[in-house]
Amino acid sequence: MIGKNRRKRTWFATAVLVAGSLALTSVPAQAEVGVSANEIKLGTTIPLTGAASPGYNKLGDAMTAYFNYVNDNGGVFGRKIKLIVKDDQYLPNLAVARTNELILRDKVFALVGALGTANHKAVAKSVGLQRRGVPDLFINTGFSGFADKKTFGTTFPVFPSYVMEAKVMGQFIKDNYAGKTLGLIYQDDDFGSDALKGFAQAGVKFDVSIPYASGSQSTTTAATWISRLATGRAEVVVMFGVTSAAGLALATAAGARYAPQWILGSVGGDATTLRALGVPTAVLNGAQGASFLPSPADTSDEYVKLFQEVNEKYNKNVAFDNNVLVGMNTAMLTVQALRAAGKNLTRKRLIAAIQSKGSTFVSAGLAPLNYSRTSQVGYNGYWFGQYDAAGVMKPLSGGVVVYTTDSGTGAVVKSSFKRPAMPAKGIPTNS
Amino acid sequence: MRKRILFFILLGWVLLLIGDRVDELRVYQGATLAMYAVGLASIVLLTGYSGQVSLGNGAMMAVGGYATTLTYNNLQTPIWFAFLMGVMVAALFGAFLGVAAARLAGPYLAGTTLALAVGLPAIANQFGFLGGEQGIYFDIGLPPASLGEDFSPYKWYFWIATAIALVALFITTNILYSRFGRTWRAIRGNALAAELAGIHTGQYKVLAFTVSSALAGLAGSVLAMTISLVSPSAYPLSLSFALVTGAVLAGISSLPGVMLGAVILVIIPDLAEVVAHWLGDSERVTTHLPGLIVSVLLILSVIFTPNGPGENLRKHLGHKKHS
Repeated sequence: MIGKNRRKRTWFATAVLVAGSLALTSVPAQAEVGVSANEIKLGTTIPLTGAASPGYNKLGDAMTAYFNYVNDNGGVFGRKIKLIVKDDQYLPNLAVARTNELILRDKVFALVGALGTANHKAVAKSVGLQRRGVPDLFINTGFSGFADKKTFGTTFPVFPSYVMEAKVMGQFIKDNYAGKTLGLIYQDDDFGSDALKGFAQAGVKFDVSIPYASGSQSTTTAATWISRLATGRAEVVVMFGVTSAAGLALATAAGARYAPQWILGSVGGDATTLRALGVPTAVLNGAQGASFLPSPADTSDEYVKLFQEVNEKYNKNVAFDNNVLVGMNTAMLTVQALRAAGKNLTRKRLIAAIQSKGSTFVSAGLAPLNYSRTSQVGYNGYWFGQYDAAGVMKPLSGGVVVYTTDSGTGAVVKSSFKRPAMPAKGIPTNS
Repeated sequence: MRKRILFFILLGWVLLLIGDRVDELRVYQGATLAMYAVGLASIVLLTGYSGQVSLGNGAMMAVGGYATTLTYNNLQTPIWFAFLMGVMVAALFGAFLGVAAARLAGPYLAGTTLALAVGLPAIANQFGFLGGEQGIYFDIGLPPASLGEDFSPYKWYFWIATAIALVALFITTNILYSRFGRTWRAIRGNALAAELAGIHTGQYKVLAFTVSSALAGLAGSVLAMTISLVSPSAYPLSLSFALVTGAVLAGISSLPGVMLGAVILVIIPDLAEVVAHWLGDSERVTTHLPGLIVSVLLILSVIFTPNGPGENLRKHLGHKKHS
């Protein structure tokens, strides 16, 4: 009897605790969420900690650095940009929880530069970004599903889709390696199926094709890949997988003295990630890869030069790599989108501005931006280069040749796109 | 029994009233809290009552989440049936695991279940129909129109998750206070003495794993609903550790404590943000503080309340009544 009474009281006490934890909160209404007379509040979730954080954890600080640079130069029509960065550890449940905090508690005006396909699929669906009308700017994933305007009406990817990347890579192979025996290692999920679709549309057939399950990459599995490729005498091998898989494949091949011409997908050759994984960047030496941005080591590029200066002054001069470049470039696009939406900033105006003017935004990108009323995908092309022993990709001997295409059946063409000159001091003045 | 039913109905009514009056973030956190409460109950039943240590309940959550999602998406069943399938499939997995676990104890059992937590969610990467790393959508759709236009999806999730948690905790309470619960406690206290008393300890251990896995599977299904997705990364190793941590903080053998444990797991990031604000709003502090707070709480709990604050509260309330 005593025990029963104790239990009842304990249940009651814990119930009171639960009720207390759901304390009432309220925020006064305002004209547009996250926008005041002197501030625009933006938010992002990225992996600041956890296994996926090396490299990606630099994106938030890089964006903040560029925003602070713009703030010190007058902001956006007098408003300063405040970026709230939260850690999602690259886990979908945390990405949803942190995004909810950004939208519902911090009341951000828009999300910017989020990362990861699984994470962002969960965020877009669970949080209901489209239903809430929350602009979801310049996400860092090439999953072709995000191009579906009906489901992701407020989402604007900045990467070309993986279908586009594979189509472009297929054309590059046809132009440079016709008649060679071709091998392919690809991740056997949405990422890889996008790639297969793109290669098929480009009319490229692989003599040796090796799927691998995401997360299954190890020295053992890499040895079987290399064995199959060597047995099939593949002379050119495309690695359409993540950097950890690419690093293992290249290191294992080098150990086996198997030296095909490697071509790495855009997400498979990040030197910072390789270093974090303990793989020497020298394994990348001689491999070819694709990018839509200039090399972060190319100080002759005016955008790279500016971003390096911003990095030095506003970002504690961290090692300037592709992640810092991507972060600052994303921030520069964001400033232009905010300006294009006008002084009377609303979420609807921001989305409409990217759709109508997004293709004219200036950026470090060497491929054109593809935003329009029918397309919400950003860059639509790649150039190919060769990695050196430090893991830096430099243009091939013929210089930067950009191939562009779409996610559909459109042809791959060598682009005549000429990147617009950087605005004075790298501060956008568009409207 | 009647009073217990009335209590749970009253609790449910109070929670629904609260859900109607708090903002959407709190409603979402309430759904997460309900998910954790069910997940923690699975640990309390298994470890606190039957004495079997498991670090792999996150894997059972994955089994439940995938089973529910695949049922709902492929068979277009009512949502309650999909949840039921999640529970059944997880229970089946738990029964298989229990057969092996009944032969193991202590660190060997912990090691085996840890391997399960690491390996099982990653199996989803091996089969195309499980969606690989990108996962599969689990979209239960918008709330019924009869609830009104202002009724948000998160409030709908909260209603479902709360109802599920209350039913699950009610059933678990009844099981733990029945002869099964008493038998599990006897096995935990002294397995040899229980054997001598005629209890088939192996069968009861398998049963404990089965029921615990069913609860974990249910929690995994609720998690999938709240994030609209199942993927291997939604059920990481850290989730299994969080469940054990929450259970220890709440009192490993205290079922009422699961709500306290769930509250702790949900409010720690909020608490970290408040502390970080005091310390100058540093993102670095906010990022690393939740882990630090959990670690400190665990150490303090082990030193000052080895059975957990929930158990202490229970004793304190009982003592107060009779003093």
